[in-house]
Amino acid sequence: MTKIELTRNTSIKNALISRYPQLAVFVVMLMGYIFAILAGLVGTPVGSHNFSIVFVWIAWWAILILVAVPFFGRGWCAVCPIPLPGEWLQRGAVLNPPDKKPKWFNLRWPKALRNIWLQNISFLLLALFSSVLLTTPNITGIVLAGMLFAAIGLSTVFERRAFCRYLCPVGGFIGLYSQTAPIELRIKDKRVCATCEGKPCYNGSTNGYGCPWDVFPGGLTKNTYCGLCMECLRTCPHDNIAVNMRPFSADLAKPSTRMDEAFKAFIMLGSAMIYAGVLLGPWGVLKDAAYNVGTSTWFIYAAVFLSTIFLVMPSFFALCVTRFENLNIFKKRFAMLSSALIPLGLMFWVAFSLSFVLTNASYILASLSDPLGLGWNLFGTAQTTWQPMLTSILAPGQTLALVGGLIWSSRTAQKAANEAKVSAIPVIGYCLIVTAVMLWLLL
Amino acid sequence: MKRSELLSRILITAGMLLAVGTPLFFWTRTPLIHARMADNGGWNPDVIQAEVGKPLHLRLTSDDVMHGFSVGQMKIDAVDVEPGKVTDVTLSFDKPGIYKFFCTRWCGINHWRMRGTIEVSGPGANPEPAPTIPLYVTLGFDLDAPHESPVIPSNQPSAIRGQQLAANLEISKFSNPDFYRTNSPYQLFEALSSTNLSDLEKWDVVSYIWQSNTTPEALTNGRDLYAQNCAACHGENGGGDGVFADDLAKAGEASMQSMTGATDMLMQTPVDFTDSKRILGAAPALLQGKILRGGMGTGMPMWGSIFTEEQIWDLVAYLYSFQFDYQGEAQ
Amino acid sequence: MAGLAVAFAPLPVQPIRPQERTFQIEARQFAYSPSELNVNPGDTITIRLISTDVVHGLYVDGYDVSVEADPGQTATLTFTATKPGSFRFRCNITCGAMHPFMIGKLTVGANDWLFRSAGLAMVAVLGIVILVKRS
Repeated sequence: MTKIELTRNTSIKNALISRYPQLAVFVVMLMGYIFAILAGLVGTPVGSHNFSIVFVWIAWWAILILVAVPFFGRGWCAVCPIPLPGEWLQRGAVLNPPDKKPKWFNLRWPKALRNIWLQNISFLLLALFSSVLLTTPNITGIVLAGMLFAAIGLSTVFERRAFCRYLCPVGGFIGLYSQTAPIELRIKDKRVCATCEGKPCYNGSTNGYGCPWDVFPGGLTKNTYCGLCMECLRTCPHDNIAVNMRPFSADLAKPSTRMDEAFKAFIMLGSAMIYAGVLLGPWGVLKDAAYNVGTSTWFIYAAVFLSTIFLVMPSFFALCVTRFENLNIFKKRFAMLSSALIPLGLMFWVAFSLSFVLTNASYILASLSDPLGLGWNLFGTAQTTWQPMLTSILAPGQTLALVGGLIWSSRTAQKAANEAKVSAIPVIGYCLIVTAVMLWLLL
Repeated sequence: MKRSELLSRILITAGMLLAVGTPLFFWTRTPLIHARMADNGGWNPDVIQAEVGKPLHLRLTSDDVMHGFSVGQMKIDAVDVEPGKVTDVTLSFDKPGIYKFFCTRWCGINHWRMRGTIEVSGPGANPEPAPTIPLYVTLGFDLDAPHESPVIPSNQPSAIRGQQLAANLEISKFSNPDFYRTNSPYQLFEALSSTNLSDLEKWDVVSYIWQSNTTPEALTNGRDLYAQNCAACHGENGGGDGVFADDLAKAGEASMQSMTGATDMLMQTPVDFTDSKRILGAAPALLQGKILRGGMGTGMPMWGSIFTEEQIWDLVAYLYSFQFDYQGEAQ
Repeated sequence: MAGLAVAFAPLPVQPIRPQERTFQIEARQFAYSPSELNVNPGDTITIRLISTDVVHGLYVDGYDVSVEADPGQTATLTFTATKPGSFRFRCNITCGAMHPFMIGKLTVGANDWLFRSAGLAMVAVLGIVILVKRS
């Protein structure tokens, strides 16, 4: 299967270029986001009956990891409300660029931080506190508000979407996994860009703004950092930008050699396994350790968490890189081979999320009618009792995801090993072992 | 600026105000009574005002675990107060006074401390009659003095055997409630020394007389009250080994730094109702007094404002069933 | 082919006579003790649930049966383990923050599904390795 250009269809193209459909979605998302902050701060402290917990960690998370990321890559980034207030301030407008641009600092993001290490750290921070975050409405409210204010603050100091590109904990893994998605935004013809003056796709024009993701659309070869915001569709004077459907994980044919991305893969793979064991397993002592933040058992838990991700898993993986010439080449090979862990990690998260989403999705109906736990009944569904859904498909679904992920990652390992000129077998063996562990943890 | 920009900004602002304002507005108009485990604050608010004759509508929610709600000394059914959900209750009061509301579902070791007050004002009938003086006060019982029975039965006394034995005895003076309430089973045992029964037979008669001072319905009521209110500490089989017993003992150890260490620590472990020495030496009025007054620093709650007198007598009658075999006792 | 065999071939079953099994499970915030139960298919299971701090429940995935217990009032749940496999049981009375993760595991017979899945994974990898070797 080769590419199908979706923007060839004029209705699709016009819907993406016009700012109005996007604005409508933005308004709804931002209203929901602000409502979630409010619910977290003033609503019932009981997580399962609070809109912020139910709609962020069950509903939104389910849609994100089961639909948005696998099928639309950074599709969530395209509609996420977090950057909006800051961006509107930064741009001085909510629609097309204004005649008079506001004078913000517009600093370039510091060179040393032009990587995803900050996002690795921010994700890990949330992960270490996840037991409290996922269950406590006011903590969720504070974190959501914190991210919003961070984005606003950064937008007034730095250019473009600094929060999204370099800080957002969610964006880190969405970017990595978007390489597997069947959708992409690319230029149509390189030669057109070569002769283009001014490069308005990056620098902006009267029709739109320069890429908020600090990406040069003309040089886009992977999905990792493109947030599908469609600005370049609006600014390109040569109609040279297209949104295409393409085979899954096409981007992994050219595996990245970056260490920050390699470690992101380990972070996601490892945390999925740890979550499966701690949250979905029958071992109460682990849950106590994870929840009681600040106690000595929690520090031990955090230490084990971090050493699994930064020491144990990468060290074993390093053994799978069976050739060593010098450190630089080794690191490149390590990073390229670790791309095999991208589809595997995605499927690990899908399998893990299926369990708690199907178990707790019934809370969504109740929360729609009584979002703050105040005894309302807006849509008549407030008394919906908790009842796990579709339990018969859970185990088959998880097996499909995990074995499917294993096959996918083995194929990816094959391609990466070809590029790295080493054998794929050890990496495939590694994937098999971690998949077996995940199967044991979940089933 | 262009009109489309202006309209869009208005739309965004309106949307945000709606998203924030509407829920906040309705939130301020939804006063709730929040239930939390006692360690986390208990009832909030814990004082409610009401008026005689005006129905009091209460909306209750739990902020953490399953709780329940009822009002002491009133004939109402307890309602559950569920986490994240709201329960509606309507109360009406005939007489002014201070009423105590309390939690009815065990929510931790300090569950019994979850109590609040309803202050009911308004025209009362007469000024409140003087509160009834509990029997143990009238009798001059020291609730904290030991009350060990010097003699205990070799086997569990049987009320059925006692009934057969009592057929030949003159026991009418023992069957009246006044005697029953003011004397311990041991004292009745002693009073029967003029008969020529064996010790165990005398205990059988004691158990029969104890049973005759209550009814099967009362025993059932007492059993239910015990299960809901007492078993968590005193044990489902009365052995002082309820689920909170070890926590209470630990709390006792922690807080008791006194010279009389060992005895004080005993104060914290719940009473074992299967301990014949202790229970057979206790008169019903003594047990009633302990239940009314509570434990003065032990974990034993005071129930005076919660249970009616009838409820306490039913409970007291049930407690003796840990000592006596009441055939026909409700299963 | 091999995958289908692994997925669907009937595994040898040792017929074991069904028994009556009773388990006493203590529930606290936020764990069961014991938290892992093993029975044979056809056993009649009686669970005596003892809550030791607040009101807890016990709901069995897949069997859709449940019971709740107040501290001081042991509750009993009886059902027959007709379905083989691994089933999580979880608390169904909100009992605090970590309530959604208060989980135990009931295994009826062998955890067939896990073995089949692991087998499938190995067959898949074997297939791919063979393909890699060939190319």
